[in-house]
Amino acid sequence: MKKIMTVFMLFMSMQYVFAQTEVPRISVSFTNTPAEDALAEIERKTSYKFFYLSDWLKELRVTGNFQDTPVNTVLDNLFEDTVLNYFIMDSDRIYLLQNNQIYDSLPDDFFGAPDKVEDDFPQYDQLQDIGPLFVGNDDNNRGLETVKIGRENRNSRRRTFTLNGKALNARTGQPIPDLAIIVEGKDIGTSTNANGNYSLELPIGENIITTRGLGIEESRTQIILYNDGSYNFQLNESVEALDEVVVQGNIDRNVETAITGVTLIEVEKIKNIPLVLGERDVLKAAVTLPGITTAGEGASGYNVRGGRTDQNLILLDNGVIYNPSHFFGIFSAINPFTTGSAEIYKGHIPAQFGGRLSSVFDITSKDANTEKFSGEASIGPVTSNIVLETPIIKDKAALMVGGRATYSDWILDSLDDEQLSNSTASFFDVLAKYNHTINENNELKATGYFSRDEFSITSDSIFNYSNRLVSLGWDHKFSDKTTGSLVLSNSEYQFGIEFDGESNDDFDLGYKNNETEFKYRMRYLPGGKHSFDFGIASKLYVVDPGNIDPLGTDSDVSSLVIPRERGLESAVFISDSYEVNDKLLIDMGLRFSFYAALGAGQQRIYQDNAPRNSGTLVETQEFDDNEVIETYGGPEVRLSARYFLAPDFSVKASVNNAFQYIHTLSNNTTVSPTDTWKLSDLNIKPQEAYQASLGFYKNFEGNKYELSLEGYYKEQRNLLDYKVGAQLLLNEAIEQEVLQGDGQAYGVEFLIKKNEGKLNGWLGYTYSRSFVKLDSEFNEERVNNGEFFPSNFDKPHDISLVANYKFTRRFSASANFVYQTGRPVTFPIGSFAFNNSEFVFYSDRNKFRIPDYYRLDLSFNMEGNHKIKKFAHSFWSFSIYNVLGRNNPYSVFFVTEDGDIKAFQSSIFAIPVPTITYNFKF
Amino acid sequence: MHSFGKHKIKFSVLSALLIASCIEPFNAVFTDFESALVIEATITNEVKQQEILLSRSFEFDADGPISEPNANVRIVDSGGNTFSFSDQGNGLYLSEESFGAQPGVDYQLLVTTSDGRDYNSDQTPLKTGTGIEQITAERIVNNDGQDGMAILVDSFDPSGNSKNYRYEYEETFRVIAPSWQPVKLVPETEFGCTMILVRNNDLAQVCYETNNSNQIIQTSTEDLDEDRVENFMVRFISRQNYIISHRYSILVRQFVQSDEAFNFYSTLKELSSSESLFSQTQPGFLQGNVFSSENSEERVLGFFDVSTVSEQRLFFNYDDFYPGEDLPPYIDPCQTSSPVIANEGGCVLRPIIEIGAGVYAGDSGAEPGSNQGPYLIVRRICGDCSVLGPQEIPEFWIE
Repeated sequence: MKKIMTVFMLFMSMQYVFAQTEVPRISVSFTNTPAEDALAEIERKTSYKFFYLSDWLKELRVTGNFQDTPVNTVLDNLFEDTVLNYFIMDSDRIYLLQNNQIYDSLPDDFFGAPDKVEDDFPQYDQLQDIGPLFVGNDDNNRGLETVKIGRENRNSRRRTFTLNGKALNARTGQPIPDLAIIVEGKDIGTSTNANGNYSLELPIGENIITTRGLGIEESRTQIILYNDGSYNFQLNESVEALDEVVVQGNIDRNVETAITGVTLIEVEKIKNIPLVLGERDVLKAAVTLPGITTAGEGASGYNVRGGRTDQNLILLDNGVIYNPSHFFGIFSAINPFTTGSAEIYKGHIPAQFGGRLSSVFDITSKDANTEKFSGEASIGPVTSNIVLETPIIKDKAALMVGGRATYSDWILDSLDDEQLSNSTASFFDVLAKYNHTINENNELKATGYFSRDEFSITSDSIFNYSNRLVSLGWDHKFSDKTTGSLVLSNSEYQFGIEFDGESNDDFDLGYKNNETEFKYRMRYLPGGKHSFDFGIASKLYVVDPGNIDPLGTDSDVSSLVIPRERGLESAVFISDSYEVNDKLLIDMGLRFSFYAALGAGQQRIYQDNAPRNSGTLVETQEFDDNEVIETYGGPEVRLSARYFLAPDFSVKASVNNAFQYIHTLSNNTTVSPTDTWKLSDLNIKPQEAYQASLGFYKNFEGNKYELSLEGYYKEQRNLLDYKVGAQLLLNEAIEQEVLQGDGQAYGVEFLIKKNEGKLNGWLGYTYSRSFVKLDSEFNEERVNNGEFFPSNFDKPHDISLVANYKFTRRFSASANFVYQTGRPVTFPIGSFAFNNSEFVFYSDRNKFRIPDYYRLDLSFNMEGNHKIKKFAHSFWSFSIYNVLGRNNPYSVFFVTEDGDIKAFQSSIFAIPVPTITYNFKF
Repeated sequence: MHSFGKHKIKFSVLSALLIASCIEPFNAVFTDFESALVIEATITNEVKQQEILLSRSFEFDADGPISEPNANVRIVDSGGNTFSFSDQGNGLYLSEESFGAQPGVDYQLLVTTSDGRDYNSDQTPLKTGTGIEQITAERIVNNDGQDGMAILVDSFDPSGNSKNYRYEYEETFRVIAPSWQPVKLVPETEFGCTMILVRNNDLAQVCYETNNSNQIIQTSTEDLDEDRVENFMVRFISRQNYIISHRYSILVRQFVQSDEAFNFYSTLKELSSSESLFSQTQPGFLQGNVFSSENSEERVLGFFDVSTVSEQRLFFNYDDFYPGEDLPPYIDPCQTSSPVIANEGGCVLRPIIEIGAGVYAGDSGAEPGSNQGPYLIVRRICGDCSVLGPQEIPEFWIE
């Protein structure tokens, strides 16, 4: 940067020099001479007089040996590493400057005289709509880099051109995603995508471009644009941002983007949130934000805006992760060290995504460091984690490998409960990512991921589940206006139970689903106010819903295989981000999705106008391989708009709808490893959702405070729920157990964030409700009288506070407080006599609630010092989870003991859990 | 319908343990407990006085069940006939006249409780179907590795209409009190502690105990190629169970159920299995086909089923299957003791005999003063089987 500044200084000076007579040459030599003395020496040898404030030069010493050198060159050298500039006024006066305000008084046509510039210098006088250079009230143009882009075409009538390029980290060479790129005074702005690419429509001529991003030093660049062109920003990391808790990646985004309900979480920014067992976790950070909740501690799966846990599309580098958690949700399956950022769409979902109703968690891995070998590791009480990055082809290709494993067995061993101390539990996950910039038009990325959990609670059973995904991405730039990206991905989720007990009922049970997706997406920036995004996607699902086999020769369990299901989900999508005027930005998206349930398979046909059960079964139809069993589909509207009420105050509204063709079968409130996924078929219709949201966004004191208030209303159709007493696992005729009904959810989300200062953090409050209605003319298909009832995760009040206080640059403390209304449950409420015995009878579905949930976590963090040359940067974190020792019931259940029914509540962490973690980075 | 019930419970409980690093009693407060009417009614094609049971649900810690007296109970059929029922006490209502359900006729149960509330069932037709082909008894080793007797049912419906079968049984067996003596102890005088032996003519040596099934026993032929029930085990009796010690008889009753009734019973059974964190059973209020006529919010439990019934009985002796083998242990280990006649506190033996806690089982031969009495005493059940059942031979009994 410094060097460029110097060049710029020279450029400015020389412009002036052209109009001058020769600058005198001098011979002079300095060795660590105080600057004032040096200037005095120059004064002595020339006719020049210097004008400056002594304060500016107080500490400055200069060194240099000049023989017959022009004075301006001498000064350039002397002031090279300083903030000083100079100005040769006429033949005898030199003004030293700490800024270049002096240019304010330059004539308007200063650069405009064609005879004073080189041939390729712009003919500014031909451009009516640009002002003179360096006009403005900037007092900071000293550091301004100026770049000329393109060659002017005199025949062109165009007044705007496209500028595109990449934002790169100057140190690591890695792309910087989600960097705000703003054109000063012109209400033009964009942000870089996940690969650091951006594209902007700019008016011809001079533009001052500011970039802002978290962890990145702010930059200002002057771009003089003559034609379409590209420019890469080389940006420095900002040291200050390193230990701040910031969740928003882009400070202006809150107000600026057109879409509602979007949140960006950057892993680097969440490390001070106190978390359980020393893991910093992007998904756990997500639940501190309004609208995203889990059913409780230890529950895996997220409920977004009153949606079910299966309605979230969780993508890791564009591949789907089916079970995003380890260890029943205590840890997320996403390695925090390899994760770059997570973008969560809970309101408006861009047209390029589809297939799930409630949200998209678009998690992107970091790009590997192409410059040098580096790594990061952490040691915690339960897990250890290491990530290594190495260049393969310097500056072009690099590989990152990350792995995480647990040694949680000792925790179980150390527990008093004998049964628990005999159990084992372990998990690991590995991720490898390769990124290769082939040339400026082609970029290749490949990610492989595998996670596996295995646990055994008693000696006779072993459970395991795993996620596996592979994704391949190729970004290609066809022209400055058109880019395309191809994604191929495959992911698989499976679980298994091995039961090896004393008697002859040992079994081995398995479940698996696999999906393969092809997606091609193009972006086209035609110039003007439109920006198009369109493409096609197609996904093949293969589900093996379950099989059970005898384990060992003595087992009398008979083998059973539930037939495989297949389905093809395809979509075409197009969206246009249209800037109607300075204030109004509309994001119009349309997606048409189409689903075909494919054979080979069996489908049961039931009588019309009768409840589905074994008695109303008419026949079983056989379908051949690839024969279409049933098709579903429809248009999905994704419309969102932003309107500026004031420069830092906007209102946004969106309406959207979606279809979902794959459903989990789970009557637990939480995701458990025995949840299976079921494809839509002849009997099970796709789920649908319709959402409208409206929000107000206001930033105060130059983005120091961010305030947002967002409301939504959502209706859902064909939600999958279950008949009372439903059995889901290994059930061939699952449609006899499920019901499809309507959902209704609404809520108001309030969030205030303080982004800067010693004390920063956020406070969120959500009021939301979520209901389900299961009505039918048949008793067995009607729940709660066919009226709306609270869903399993209807938690009206949700307060979340994350606060971080920095004592010094190295020491900080954080606190996290959560309060939530207890979730609804169905209790047994009494007994009755029937058929010569006693039975329990249950309340209406979800009639009661478990006690409210609240929890306070604290942590204290210490960073190693920031010496640049140090081998490794270290970070200590000491945290206490659940400081108040609140015994938050996770679940309430009932067992029959000695003929009496007793209620028990289970909690995961009923006591404060202290954790110490050591991280280091090299 | 395949289900995965067998392994489910173990699996559920185990899973709960892992997560539940803290499990403690939860004081559930059921503030709005409202006792619900429970209707248990199975009307059959058999011409007899039909039975209906009315009771009320009760809280967990309360004693139950509570019968529902003085209700007006009647069944109206689609032919316009009304069958009235009268309260027999203990919640049992019997039809005033004998009748059997007819095919092609819809029946509706109407109940008006003593507080004036009206309840009704859906219109329910008779589910027609086949009768039991045969029942057999067989010595087997069951899936848990236990030796014992299986009672198996065969049934076949060539028309394929029956499909849903529910079973009840009533088992009657001969019990012989192992410690029975021809003499018994009685007090010698009105007030003294001394006991004397007299001829025993009231304590029973041989009795006939009867038990009813209390499980929901169902099978379906839905998934089978033909509507045939073959060797379906309605009852398993462990070889260690005293009930098969001598002669055993079982009456198996088969009900052919409608789909709705079958689902109600099977779901009820499902819900009564262990419920915990990872269980895969969806809990909730189980709605049958009986409702409050006025208030759709009021919960009514139970079911009104109209089904085809058939029954068969069989007998077997222990010797038929376990010739020469030891008898199963008696219901009680029959440990003897020798309480003293009296001590400083007063009479000891006399009250034990008088309240019927123990009976005479022989002489102890103990020396007087050795802190033991002269007689061997056992628990009453060992010397008097009338605790278990009547001495009279049942009418149906065949030797």
